Amino acid sequence: MSAHLLAQAVVIGVITGAGYGLVALGLVLVHKSSGVFNFAQGEFGTVAVYTLYRLHDRIGVPLLPAMVVGLAASMAMALATERLVVRRLFDAPRVTLLVATAGVALLAISLELWLGEARLRFIQPALGRLDRLSLFGVQVSDQRILILGVLAVLAVLLGLFFSRTNRGLAILAVSQEPVATELMGISVRRLSSFIWGLAGLLAGIAGMLAAGDARSFGPGFMTFNTLIPGFTAAVLGGMNSLPGALVGGVVVGVAQSLAVSSSAFKAIPGPGSVMVFVLLVAVLTVRPQGLLGKA
Amino acid sequence: MNGNGDRPGPAGWAARGAVLAAVAALVLAVPAFRGNVEVHVFTQAAIYAVIGLSLNVLLGYTGQISLGHQAFVGIGAFTAAYMVSRQGQPFVAGIVMAMVVGGLQALVLGAVSLRVTGLYFALVTLAYGTMAEESLFNIQSLTGGSAGQPAPKPAWFSTDLRYYYLCLAFLAAVIWIDWRLMRTKGGRALLAVRENPKVAATNGVDVKVYTLMAFVVAGVFAGLGGALLAHNDTFVVRDLFDFQLALVFVIMTVVGGLRNRTGVVLGSAFFSLVGYFFDKLFKGGLAVPGLKVLPKEYVPIVIGPVLLLYTLTRHPGGVGEQIRPLQRWLRGGRFTFRDTSESEVRVSDVRA
Repeated sequence: MSAHLLAQAVVIGVITGAGYGLVALGLVLVHKSSGVFNFAQGEFGTVAVYTLYRLHDRIGVPLLPAMVVGLAASMAMALATERLVVRRLFDAPRVTLLVATAGVALLAISLELWLGEARLRFIQPALGRLDRLSLFGVQVSDQRILILGVLAVLAVLLGLFFSRTNRGLAILAVSQEPVATELMGISVRRLSSFIWGLAGLLAGIAGMLAAGDARSFGPGFMTFNTLIPGFTAAVLGGMNSLPGALVGGVVVGVAQSLAVSSSAFKAIPGPGSVMVFVLLVAVLTVRPQGLLGKA
Repeated sequence: MNGNGDRPGPAGWAARGAVLAAVAALVLAVPAFRGNVEVHVFTQAAIYAVIGLSLNVLLGYTGQISLGHQAFVGIGAFTAAYMVSRQGQPFVAGIVMAMVVGGLQALVLGAVSLRVTGLYFALVTLAYGTMAEESLFNIQSLTGGSAGQPAPKPAWFSTDLRYYYLCLAFLAAVIWIDWRLMRTKGGRALLAVRENPKVAATNGVDVKVYTLMAFVVAGVFAGLGGALLAHNDTFVVRDLFDFQLALVFVIMTVVGGLRNRTGVVLGSAFFSLVGYFFDKLFKGGLAVPGLKVLPKEYVPIVIGPVLLLYTLTRHPGGVGEQIRPLQRWLRGGRFTFRDTSESEVRVSDVRA
C-alpha cells in the first residue's frame, strides 16, 4: 500500500472512528454506572433519525426543531428502557439485562421494518458542501467536519461535567461504591435515569451525524453499522474510560478502514467486520483491561 | 415425583395415555392430511426445535449466551449444501459433515474466546455472527455468494411429508442425546458449574473444559439444524442468517424455558409457526387502523421481544414452568400448581 493510500485510509478511519467513539461514549456511561451492556444504544440513535426524517423530510418542519424532537425521542426511548426493563431487572444478573436490551433493540428494528418498510431512505446532510477540505485526496465534507467538531465539544463538556459538577461526581461515586453513595443521600435510581437519558441523547446525536454522512438509512441503521465497532471501541478503552472510548473508536475506525483498503484483505469479502472481530478477540484475550487501563 | 404413594388408578392412567396419544396424533398424523406448504412449515418447526435445544445446551446448562447462533446454523446449512451440490456427496455425508464442521467451529471459537465469559463472551459471539454474515457467507466458491447454493432433498425423503418425518426423527434423536448427556458425569458437572462455578471448581470440576464441551455439543446440534434447514428449503441463501434470526433463536429458547426440553421445543415451534398462522388468521396480514399491514415474516420479531421482556420480568421459567404441572401429571403425579420437587428457573439462571 502506498503512503498516499495509507494516509487516505487513516483520514477515513479517523472520521468513521469518531462516530464509533460517540456510540462507545454512551455504552461506557451506562456500563460505568450500572454494569449493563446496553445493546439498544444503537437503536436509540436510529429512532432519533427516523423521527427527524418524518418531521423534516416528510412534513416539512424546519431542521432545528425537528432535530430537537428527534433527540427527545431517543432520550424518551432510553428513559422508557431504563424504567420498564432495566429497573425491573435491577437485581438480575447482567447477562439477563444484556438479553433484555437486545430485545429492546429488536423490538425497535421490527417496528421500523413494519412502519417504515425495509428500504433505504435517502436524505441530505445537514450541511451542504461535500468538498470543504481535501486531505490526501480524501474529500472531507462539512458533515464530517461537523462530526469531529461535535465529538470534540462533547468530549470537553463531558470531561467538565464529570470533574466539575456535583452530579458528575455523584455518577463516578455510584460507579465505584453504590451503597456508600446511597448512604451519602444520593438517589442511585434518579442518577440511573439521568445516565440513561444522557446515553439516549448521545445516541441521538451519533445517529443524526452518521445518517447525514451516509446520506441514507434504513431499519436497524445504527445497530448494524455501529453497535459492534462501538462496543469494540469501548472494550479497547477498558469499558470504563470515557477518553478510552473515544481513542478506542478512532483505533477501530482506522483499523477497519485499513483492512478495507489494504490489498492483503482483497481475497476476503467483508474485511471490515473480520477486522473488528479479530480486534475484539485480540483485546479481550491479550489486554482485557483496555489499551489505557492499568494491568 | 410422588411422595405420598397415591399412584393413579387405571382410569387415571387411561386419561394420561389419551392425552399423550392426542399429542402424538397432532404431531404425527395431522401433517399427513395437510398441504405441502403447511408440511414445509411444520418441518421448519421441528428444525427450529433442534436449534433451540442447541442454544439450550449453552444458555441453559452453561449460562453462556450466543448472539451469533445464526452463524452456527448458517455454517451447517452451507456445509451441507456444499457437500451435496458441489462435491456430489450423498445427503448423509452432508449431514455428518455439517455436524463435524459445526462442532469444529464451536471448538475453535470457544478455545479462543471462552477465557472471557458472560457479557464479553456475548459480545464476541455477536461480532462472530456479523463476521460470518458479512464475510464467511459471501465467499463465492463455498456459498455461491448472493445467488446461494441449492440443497435438494434426499431421494428417499423427497416429498415434504417424508422429509417432515425424517426431521422429527432427528429431533427425537437430539432430545434423547441431550437427555443422556445430561445424565453423564459431564452433564452433572455442567449443572454444578452453573449453580456455582467457584464451588464446582473447588470440587475438582474443570469449568473451562466442560464449558467448551458444551459449546461443541451446541455447535454440533446447530450444524445439524442448519443442514436440515438447507434441505427443507432446498436452497440456502445468506440473507436468511441475519442478526434478527440470532435474536429470535435466543428469544425462543428463553421464552420456551431454559433447561426444560419440552418448553424449548414448544417455544421454538411457536416462533417458527407464528408467522404462518398469523397470516392465515388475518388474511394477508393484520391491518391495524392507521398502521401498515404487518407482513408475516416480521411477526416473530415484533411479538418476540414483547414476549421476551414479559418472560424475563414476570415468568423467568418461560413456557417450561407453566407446563410443569401438566408434565408432573403425565408422569403419574397429581395435577397441582404447587411446586413439590423440581426447582424453578429463576431470573438469575441466565447468567455469567
